[in-house]
Amino acid sequence: MRTCIITGAGSGIGRAAAIAVAAAGEYEYLALIGRSMDKLEETKSRMQTASQVELFAFDLADLEAIPALVKDIYEKTGEITCLLNIAGYTDPQPLLTTSLESMRLTYETNVFAPFMLIRECARYMRLNRDGAKILNVASTAGITPRPGWLSYASSKAAVVSMSETLAEELAEYGIRVYCISPGRCATALRRKLAPNEDQSKIMQPEDVGRIICTLVSRSEHCLDGQNIIVRKKL
Amino acid sequence: MYSVVILAGGTGSRMHREVPKQFLALAGKPMILHTLERLERIDRVGEVVVACHSQYKDLLKMHIAAYMLKKPYTIVDGGETRQQSAYLGVSAAKYEDIIIHEAARPFVTTGEFQALMDCDAPSATYGLDIPFTVSVQKGGMIAGILERDSLVNIQLPQKLKRTPLLAAYEKAAKDGLVFTEDTSLLYHYTNAPIRVLPGTPNNIKVTDSVDLIAGEAIYREYIVGRD
Repeated sequence: MRTCIITGAGSGIGRAAAIAVAAAGEYEYLALIGRSMDKLEETKSRMQTASQVELFAFDLADLEAIPALVKDIYEKTGEITCLLNIAGYTDPQPLLTTSLESMRLTYETNVFAPFMLIRECARYMRLNRDGAKILNVASTAGITPRPGWLSYASSKAAVVSMSETLAEELAEYGIRVYCISPGRCATALRRKLAPNEDQSKIMQPEDVGRIICTLVSRSEHCLDGQNIIVRKKL
Repeated sequence: MYSVVILAGGTGSRMHREVPKQFLALAGKPMILHTLERLERIDRVGEVVVACHSQYKDLLKMHIAAYMLKKPYTIVDGGETRQQSAYLGVSAAKYEDIIIHEAARPFVTTGEFQALMDCDAPSATYGLDIPFTVSVQKGGMIAGILERDSLVNIQLPQKLKRTPLLAAYEKAAKDGLVFTEDTSLLYHYTNAPIRVLPGTPNNIKVTDSVDLIAGEAIYREYIVGRD
């Protein structure tokens, strides 16, 4: 069964991507992952799809539990076809007040959890006859230095590098690895980075969700292995 | 069904590395895994027998587990020579149809394995034309000329029958003869017809350090096909 796993599906870009991917109908089973079951239910209620949708209330900081989560999904569906690493975390602080704990939590969510998910999914994706897709959401913060965003920006730079490296390493198996770096996008995470911004004038999660949906469609096969900037001209 | 015997008994002495070349990283993973992963995709491969130095058996088992390889595996100790390793591997095989391959040829494709299996001859090898001049030398002097057009550069993998092959190994051991590959051995003792399938220059045997550098390019251009 063509299966798509989506993290961060309870809000923002993750929710928008889940709705768009469901509407496109290319995946028969969607596994929505998020910390809050209520928010996942809300996402599901907005979907129009004939695909099977299953919700997983799961904290990605629980890295050790990720292999069992992926195995569970694989055993239910018999195939992992697509992974969307969208969940993100930020705690913007100047260097001198950035705690090790904050740095660690940011990297756990933004880098280590995607790494674990990719590693575990790739074990099964390698077995697919028709390949697979992985899409990681980085950020323009990962390529543009900004004071006060150390933990978030550096973690997103890691996501870009991880994506480009894995695009090479996994190409032999027909696994395409995509990386997108959205600019300013009207999400709760962005609100923490830029509290005074008028979010009605910037890119909306649905804009990014549609692009993600296009990238993970069967017909797309030219844009993997590179950091794709997704930015709305104001 | 086929038993595929993988020769991986080297200890790395020629390349002056601590780890044998078949476990050196090539394009991001141990060289031997390139072949083992491709064998996973071939239904007619009933088992894989690896002849491996005893010191590296645990390392090989770890890689087989990490890469979730599902074929039945038998790991046997390699011998003192390549021929002995091949004999030990073929002895441990359970099917009459045997494919022999070397871990140091990581750019063999699933298509090449399948073409060998599809070939109607009972024994077959890959071979390449020799594009360079080959002469005989003695004491640092040219002592003869070889007819290039009648020579072939033998490549693995090869397909053979287990029973006559084992008999040939045993005769060679008794005669004290050592062959550089197994179709030569079989031909010497049986005169059996051995088909030569056209090989590819990409299926190199990694022998020297420079081959690792060339191998990265072959992997990228030929195996993955990235521009």
